[in-house]
Amino acid sequence: MAEALTARESIKAADAHAPAAHIEHDTNTGISNTKLGMWLFLASECLLFGGLITTYLLYKRPLEGPTPKEIFDIPFTSTSSFVLLMSSLTMVLAVSAIERGDHERLRIWIGATALLGATFIAGQIYEFTVFVREGLGFTTSRFSSAFYTLTGFHGVHVTIGIIMLMSLVLLSLRGKLPEHRSETVEIVGLYWHFVDVVWIFIFAVVYLVP
Amino acid sequence: MPRRSLTVRILQVVTLLVVTFLFAALVAAAFFNDGKPLTTLSPSGPSSDSIQKLVVPVFAIAGVVFLLVEGAVLLISWKFRAKDEDDPEEFPEQVHGRTFLEIGWTILPALILAGVAVGTVMTIIDLNREEPDSINVQVAGQQWWWQYKYDVNNDGNFDGPEDIVTATEMVIPAGRPIQVTTTSNDVIHSFWIPGLNGKRDAVPGLRNPLKLEADEPGVYRGQCTEFCGLSHANMRMLVRAVPTGDYDAWVRNQLKDHSAEPTDPKAIEGKKTWLALCAQCHVIKGVNDVKAKTTPVPLVAGVAPDLTHLMTRGTFAGSIFNLYDPTDPDDPSVLLPAGDVASAGNPGAALTGGAVVTANVNRVTLEAWLRNAPAMKPMYPQGGRGMPNLALTEDQIDQLVAYLETLN
Amino acid sequence: MALTEAGPLALTSGDSDTVYKPAGVFTRPKSGATGWKSWLTTVDHKKIGIMYGAAALFFFIIGGVEALLIRVQLWAPRGTLLSADQYNQVFTMHGTTMIFLVVMPIGAAFANYLMPLQIGARDVAYPRINAFSFWAFLFGGVFLNSSWLLGGGADGGWFNYAPNNGVIFSPTHGIDFWNLGLIITGVASLAGAVNLIVTVLNMRAPGMTLMKMPIFTWMTLVTQFLLLFAIPVLTAAQILLMMDRLFDANFFNVAKGANPLLWEHLFWIFGHPEVYLMILPAFGIVSEILPTFARKPIFGYPFIVFSGIAIGFMGWGVWAHHMFVSGIGPISVTTFALTTMFIAVPTGVKILNWTATMWGGKLSFTSPMLFSIGLVTMFTIGGLSGVTHSVAPADTQQTDTYYIVAHFHYVLFGGAFFGFMAGFYFYWPKVFGYLLNEKLGKANFWLMLLGFNLTFAPMHILGLQGMSRRIYTYDAGYGFELWNKVATIGAFTLASSIALFIFNIFYSKSKAKNLPAPGADPWDARTIEWMIPSPTPEYNFDPIPTVSRVDDFWYRKYGETKDGKLVRIAATDDVVQKLSDGKHIHLPSPSYWPIVLAFGMPIAAYGLIFNLWLALVGAIIIVGGLYGWVLEPPDDPEASHDDDGTDTHASGGGDAAVTGTSESADQSNELDPAKEAETVG
Repeated sequence: MAEALTARESIKAADAHAPAAHIEHDTNTGISNTKLGMWLFLASECLLFGGLITTYLLYKRPLEGPTPKEIFDIPFTSTSSFVLLMSSLTMVLAVSAIERGDHERLRIWIGATALLGATFIAGQIYEFTVFVREGLGFTTSRFSSAFYTLTGFHGVHVTIGIIMLMSLVLLSLRGKLPEHRSETVEIVGLYWHFVDVVWIFIFAVVYLVP
Repeated sequence: MPRRSLTVRILQVVTLLVVTFLFAALVAAAFFNDGKPLTTLSPSGPSSDSIQKLVVPVFAIAGVVFLLVEGAVLLISWKFRAKDEDDPEEFPEQVHGRTFLEIGWTILPALILAGVAVGTVMTIIDLNREEPDSINVQVAGQQWWWQYKYDVNNDGNFDGPEDIVTATEMVIPAGRPIQVTTTSNDVIHSFWIPGLNGKRDAVPGLRNPLKLEADEPGVYRGQCTEFCGLSHANMRMLVRAVPTGDYDAWVRNQLKDHSAEPTDPKAIEGKKTWLALCAQCHVIKGVNDVKAKTTPVPLVAGVAPDLTHLMTRGTFAGSIFNLYDPTDPDDPSVLLPAGDVASAGNPGAALTGGAVVTANVNRVTLEAWLRNAPAMKPMYPQGGRGMPNLALTEDQIDQLVAYLETLN
Repeated sequence: MALTEAGPLALTSGDSDTVYKPAGVFTRPKSGATGWKSWLTTVDHKKIGIMYGAAALFFFIIGGVEALLIRVQLWAPRGTLLSADQYNQVFTMHGTTMIFLVVMPIGAAFANYLMPLQIGARDVAYPRINAFSFWAFLFGGVFLNSSWLLGGGADGGWFNYAPNNGVIFSPTHGIDFWNLGLIITGVASLAGAVNLIVTVLNMRAPGMTLMKMPIFTWMTLVTQFLLLFAIPVLTAAQILLMMDRLFDANFFNVAKGANPLLWEHLFWIFGHPEVYLMILPAFGIVSEILPTFARKPIFGYPFIVFSGIAIGFMGWGVWAHHMFVSGIGPISVTTFALTTMFIAVPTGVKILNWTATMWGGKLSFTSPMLFSIGLVTMFTIGGLSGVTHSVAPADTQQTDTYYIVAHFHYVLFGGAFFGFMAGFYFYWPKVFGYLLNEKLGKANFWLMLLGFNLTFAPMHILGLQGMSRRIYTYDAGYGFELWNKVATIGAFTLASSIALFIFNIFYSKSKAKNLPAPGADPWDARTIEWMIPSPTPEYNFDPIPTVSRVDDFWYRKYGETKDGKLVRIAATDDVVQKLSDGKHIHLPSPSYWPIVLAFGMPIAAYGLIFNLWLALVGAIIIVGGLYGWVLEPPDDPEASHDDDGTDTHASGGGDAAVTGTSESADQSNELDPAKEAETVG
């Protein structure tokens, strides 16, 4: 209903009908449309990654070229995985910052999250170049195609996440991210956590499972 | 209620009559399987027979359910139709549901299906039971013909010197089980001899089992049933079931090679052409035991049919043309397999290594094929998938046919 | 809803002035506009629904012409109309077009138009994403069909099995068009699925609990969940194929150890739920129509709903019945044979419930009713032949023969399309404000029934007597001649019935001015979409009704006595809503960006095929479109705000039903970059 109102009038309306505390009653489920939409989208993404992970499992033993065992640098990737996991922590801190109305901290934590994500991506790019130098090109074997596609696809997801985080920082700097829009941050956070969780699976399946 | 239209009423009656008649005709047609060499409804081997024994009651159940449901819908439509004289504000009884009915018609179909399931599982077990004393044949599909390798000495290897490689037609002894392994040299095909068993896909990189057995000697036709590219429609196969004695003679003959020089001067010239051109892709054992050209593309089969015993086969080019039984050369149907497939493409005594009756060879089609193969069957010779137009002269064709006629 | 709350509040805290300041291209188009331009920028679910339907019918004609080409080629042995290569392209594109560009979008058309009306919403949850869905579908479809002009269509069958879909075996760009085109329509379907699920779950009118929703809405919900989970599996497979075809990866390169069954599994994990998501919308439509013309409630509402949900769940466990002969081993074959058999149970429950709905009713055989009964009878045939496939040993004889072609046409044409035809005739007055001619409609039905059966019934026997699918030619001597001729005659009869339908549209339109307007409720129908004026006003409901039971509108007109007798309690004219000026209702403003964003995708796809620089242009359009989407103001410059905002609440707690416009659309952009990843990444 409230979309019918201008900014000025919305206050009137809010007084009359929909005090801020009642926000959750406005949808049938109590979850906002956008958040529900993001959950559904992420559920769908699970199947997409599921398909790619299954493919990798099927093709992890190459007929030619370097094998996973020969090529992986587990300590290095563990470190970059740890960096990505830490970014989930900073994301949580960012959400709690905006809920408190602490815009300074919000920007710091979102910036930190993006920076950690970027570090992870840089690690991935470095890793890829090393692998290629060691003879694991994209077309080398069934393993190489599956590996680069799966991890690269995840990398694209992280990159998109970073772009969304940077956009949030810009919005906040221009004063367009007040605390009652904290849900925007929360929803970007959902996406970010999802990408992290997927990485835990990928890391386990690709690097750890023999 | 709008005025009833006579045109609509006529259309309605015509439709109902035509559809009823059509369904009746289709049911009747299922009982007429003569002249339908690919029919699934006239089994000729134990496997196809056990499928048939399962299918008939399933069709019967489906038919009964069909009649009940359609009959009920039509009956209800008639019985409960609104009539012009009805009061529009008079309503039928407002029934919202009956739980016991719902439970009933959930359980009843489930029970019927459980019965069908039992039969299905038993038949699956039956079809997968291993037969002792079976002959092992590896069937490989490629665009667009079939290759057969017989493990004659039963050592588990299909490529030994004691083993047979042939193409297009599969010769089996009647009454003896054949353990077929399907595979492919390029894309997915499907090996299907409806008279003997269901189909089984030929998947590159996989080995899929399939049992075949023919009760009686005869010719059993098949058709590739997994879409495999351009000439999928022209990828057929033929199983020739023969008495056990003939089969043993066939095996002995297949194990021979053709190292002996031909005597006919035309055939001698033809052999030269063979070595210069055909031997790039085809093999005749004893003449060129490996083909001269390797196909660079990794996935493409890169093989052409082994022609060592060409004249022991009744058909060629993916079993779409008859190698024997020429009729009037002006008759366009000479390019087609004859309608009476049992006698069509009969190699006669040549099957077991006897002399080729050259008078019976379908020269018209064979020469046309040599003249310009891609015109007779769509292929991609430029991609290594199919026979190219070799631009042979008429003399060369004549000589080549003379040479091919010696390959019994 | 939270978003709409948050939106205006957000503005108060920040610089609301800058947000409303028109800034060149960032101004939104005006809502009041009419004419063709307004369709390009519309975010109205009804206009989008109509466009879905119109585009689907356009593609239906293309797919239909392809079908006729196939039937002419097979009229007699050794047909010469098409070459083998052309035939392979035509049957591939026929299947792809009919599934992805006809049946699915017609389902989307009904879902878009009707579902918000059935639940009493003003629009869908994300109106701009809805528009984006449509444009992405349309551009994806046009992109796919543009392959005809750019080197030929895909030639690997709609299922495009590996490795026959590789560059070596299909060196033209046809399969690239197929692959990228379907990724684009997949993005469209996914966006639509998220949108429609959120709409159903979040935006129902007050009082409308899940178990009071109309069955069509229920089936839409199940369908969209199926899409949500099925589409990404196909997309995953298509990403692998794209990597193989465009970047030489080894996913389907057998020489490097690839397993071709990977594609089959991924494709059918998508492909079987796909079958159900094509049929369920039609089931929903018929479940609305049968009670209306039987003049009694649907029999066993909860059973129909739960059987739909059961089909939705069980549909995930049956995919390998497409692979009984692929070599998956007897254990898998047995498992999938059993699961497939038992999915027949919930389907059978539906058929029997429809029959029981008719039992004891007072059936009036209008065109929608005839088509609905057509669905019940024809789908039964498709269902029964489906049970014969579940018998795995039988299927080894039947699969990839014309018996299968017969089966799925009975399901998809006899089932889905008859249902859609019923829906067209039923909802036409609601959508366009005039009734389709009944006499032509009935002729349409009987002609279609005749043509349909003549075309597809003979294929059962053709298949059982050995005719393979996907063959461009057959020889004399196999006994295929007679039934192929019958089928071809049938195909042209069927085509003429479609022509009659199109004629009826224009004929009825031209006659409509001399006839009385159909009014809100021409059929004495049951659900709340019939209590608003026809054609539906832009704002849908004014006020939003409060729903108290299933078939709420019916029970505003009629009451039931204790012994099940029905008596009229109010005149229809008194309970339907009057046309209001709708001025006090704020609707989502139109937007340029959905079409811009969607347009970037085929450009990027052409680029991937022909020139990576062009792909970059496409990517820039996509990214630019996204930022334009995010940055555009929530309202158009002339949006009316001259009201105190209370009227929209007048319906009594109608909050839930109102669309979040600016903010929901605004925030929803967060979804899109990730979606793009599927296309670009």
